[in-house]
Amino acid sequence: MNENEPFIGIDLGTTNSVVATVIDGVPRVIASRTGQTLTPSVVAVSRNGKRLVGHMAKRQAITNAENTAHAAKRLIGRRWGSPEVEDARKSLPYELVPGPEGNDIRAMLGGRTFAIPEISALVLAELKADAEAFFGRRVTKAVITVPAYFNDGQRQGTKDAGRIAGLEVVRIINEPTSAALAYGFGKQMEKKVAVIDLGGGTFDVSILDVGKSVYDVIAVGGDTYLGGEDFDRRVIDWLVFSFAQEHQGIDLRQDKMAMQRLRDAAERAKIELSETSQAAIHLPFLASGSDGKAAVHLDRQLTRDKLEELTQDLVDKTIQVADRTLRDAGVRVGQIGEVLLVGGMTRMPRVQQAVRQHFGREPSRGVHPEEVVALGAAIQAHALLHPQKGKEVLLLDVTPQNLGIMVVGGYFSTVIPRNTTVPTSQSHLFTTVQDSQTSVRIAVLQGGSDKAVENELLGEFVLDGLRSAQRGEVEIEVSFDISADGIVGVSARDSATGARQSITVTATSGLTEAEMRRILEENMDEMLTRRQVGDFERLRDRTRAVISEIEGLSPRVKESLARSRFGKDAVVKAEDVVGRARDAIEKGDLQQMIAVEEQLDRALQLFKGLVGGAASGPKDPS
Amino acid sequence: MATVAELLDQGVKAYTRGDSAEAERFWEQALELDPKNERVRAYLKQVRGELPPRPGEPPPAPEPAPRAEPVFEPSPWDAGPTSVATVVVEDGDGLDLDAVGEKSEIRSLVPDRKPSARSPAPGEVATWMEGARELFALGDFSGSLEMIERILRVDPTHAEARAYLRQNEATLVAMYESKLGPLSSVPRLAIHAEEVMWLNLDHRAGFLLAQVDGTVSFDDLFALSGLPRLDTARILASLLAEGVIR
Repeated sequence: MNENEPFIGIDLGTTNSVVATVIDGVPRVIASRTGQTLTPSVVAVSRNGKRLVGHMAKRQAITNAENTAHAAKRLIGRRWGSPEVEDARKSLPYELVPGPEGNDIRAMLGGRTFAIPEISALVLAELKADAEAFFGRRVTKAVITVPAYFNDGQRQGTKDAGRIAGLEVVRIINEPTSAALAYGFGKQMEKKVAVIDLGGGTFDVSILDVGKSVYDVIAVGGDTYLGGEDFDRRVIDWLVFSFAQEHQGIDLRQDKMAMQRLRDAAERAKIELSETSQAAIHLPFLASGSDGKAAVHLDRQLTRDKLEELTQDLVDKTIQVADRTLRDAGVRVGQIGEVLLVGGMTRMPRVQQAVRQHFGREPSRGVHPEEVVALGAAIQAHALLHPQKGKEVLLLDVTPQNLGIMVVGGYFSTVIPRNTTVPTSQSHLFTTVQDSQTSVRIAVLQGGSDKAVENELLGEFVLDGLRSAQRGEVEIEVSFDISADGIVGVSARDSATGARQSITVTATSGLTEAEMRRILEENMDEMLTRRQVGDFERLRDRTRAVISEIEGLSPRVKESLARSRFGKDAVVKAEDVVGRARDAIEKGDLQQMIAVEEQLDRALQLFKGLVGGAASGPKDPS
Repeated sequence: MATVAELLDQGVKAYTRGDSAEAERFWEQALELDPKNERVRAYLKQVRGELPPRPGEPPPAPEPAPRAEPVFEPSPWDAGPTSVATVVVEDGDGLDLDAVGEKSEIRSLVPDRKPSARSPAPGEVATWMEGARELFALGDFSGSLEMIERILRVDPTHAEARAYLRQNEATLVAMYESKLGPLSSVPRLAIHAEEVMWLNLDHRAGFLLAQVDGTVSFDDLFALSGLPRLDTARILASLLAEGVIR
């Protein structure tokens, strides 16, 4: 690639996303065009049909909840009817429907269905646009992070989202690995690292074995429904309750506008309390007064002590989850050499204190917890695209979860273990379980559970024509072959007869290639429309300004012409142009507006000239 | 002290509720403040019966301003305010009646309850419709809209009323938006944040004002508000006119 071609690392979060790059060897976060480093992972279709992404979408997430998609990450690459999707359907206010083939998920927004990768793509496109504004040119290459527990389907969904957004996803890497990369940047660490990631909507605990150039995720745990939003909700409930006490039972929960303002204010106050001991929450005209009285204000002081009291059980829960993850991995607290804090909620002093007490060590806070994952992704993108021998850590593409088949008793037998570098090929021998068994069913699975049913079914096939023999005598060789592109080929062969059967499994997010093409074409149309709308709005505003200026000058022009023989004709023409410009605005006719633009400018110049001439120039000789 | 615009508005409200004397009083006060205001003059003529109502016709052109030397042919500007704008309304461009009924408290166009037991007197709807036409012709779209709402409360299917509803709405939205200036511009609070609570706002205006933080444009506010466009435009224009935002 071109030495100067820009690249980015993206932390595509459940609640917020961040984009970063490396400049002159230094990783740095790219601020949005409005100056913020975090972009909410929220997409909406507003009541007036406008697509909103990021902060704008978040600001109307409660008032327009049914058309606002958040936490799409919980759904990406999932199958319709899975427990995770059923859980999400209970908590998400927007409607989910099955995809055309019935096995993936679509979200209904503004009367249109969106595939889940399409929603994530809108967030990625926003980050891409921010990066392009920063670099001043096109950005096409990115490394994107995903949770360590994401399976191939979820990773493929993330890649699809990148493709829809116009990005070439050069690598997908695990979030805790990315965080560790950012912390270990320029260092050589060899230790066990606990990554405590308390974000906006999810809590992930990962234990990594970090060696020279090796970042092995040895255990993951967490709670996919625990995050900063739960802390916000406690503050909101406290505000709602105290407001009802103060104002004769006014229930703010019935008022979407009030709830939107409360949520924004609660989040702001919570963030402020990480730095100060007290935060003022002042919301004038929050709700209608009872019995038609004037609108009432909310005025409260929230102290850090109160916030900690309201959220103590949530903090306790994070420690319980972290402890369980360590125990499941068979790792003692004393073996942990480093604790990394990731996610905005870990800025809360009470959370830091609890982590410190549990791990018996000061957590690392050298890198901003909300930015660290994106910075790691940028470092990896830099290593991939601008390799410098021996200087940087290059993560190898590995299998995220165990791959294997279902065996007797409904158990899962691993053929290729998690974290195996791809491409790879491995075989295992299996035998028949019944006498005279002439066929065998091979169910290809991916996951971390011993029970087959708890893992993801990637595909299945039947191998028949086996030699008729006593159970255990027939040997079947099952081979897994993973190409560099992540395509999994599985074959089964009867060693004695040579009968062979195989299947090829490609990770899919549920989107077919045809659908992907349709989405890409629609996006193109949408971009053109937006461009035209943008052009129209810019020109409309400018035209209105010129008309206003012409009309502002008109009394003085009339006054000056009243005593002159000249200019009358030109002024009538100018009026005609103003009339046509107004007509174009009313009709929303961009072409007509473009046609009159130059004439309108000339009319303004004429008026300015007439007024200027009347003020300082020579008078009409007559 | 009330401004000319406020007096005009109060007069229109009085006129539409049938209190012509009150309307005349407000408009006279407005004329005292701005003797050259042609709109006030036209309203006064209307309310005093000096200008017999002619349904469906545009308002009469005000008298041309006196000129010392009428040497040349009159300029189109000399005719004063232009006639009522023609508004082309496509199907579906009007207010979403259900949405307004449910979500807006500015005015409930179609009540969710059944029409009241009291039926209008014979010919009353026709009179209101005529009033709506006249006010529209006079360029008083707010007044016309209030009349239309009255009709739709008793007859939600009144075809002409619904057509006028759309026309009034489109015209009012255009009027309010033109007061806002370029919709891509970013409004800012023009007063100290502490002073906001001394204003007289309702909670919808409070919500919109809370969104004005120096980063969102008027266009964005329309998308954020969750209110019908007319309500949003009216509130923003009012906040701008009162100097709360700039």
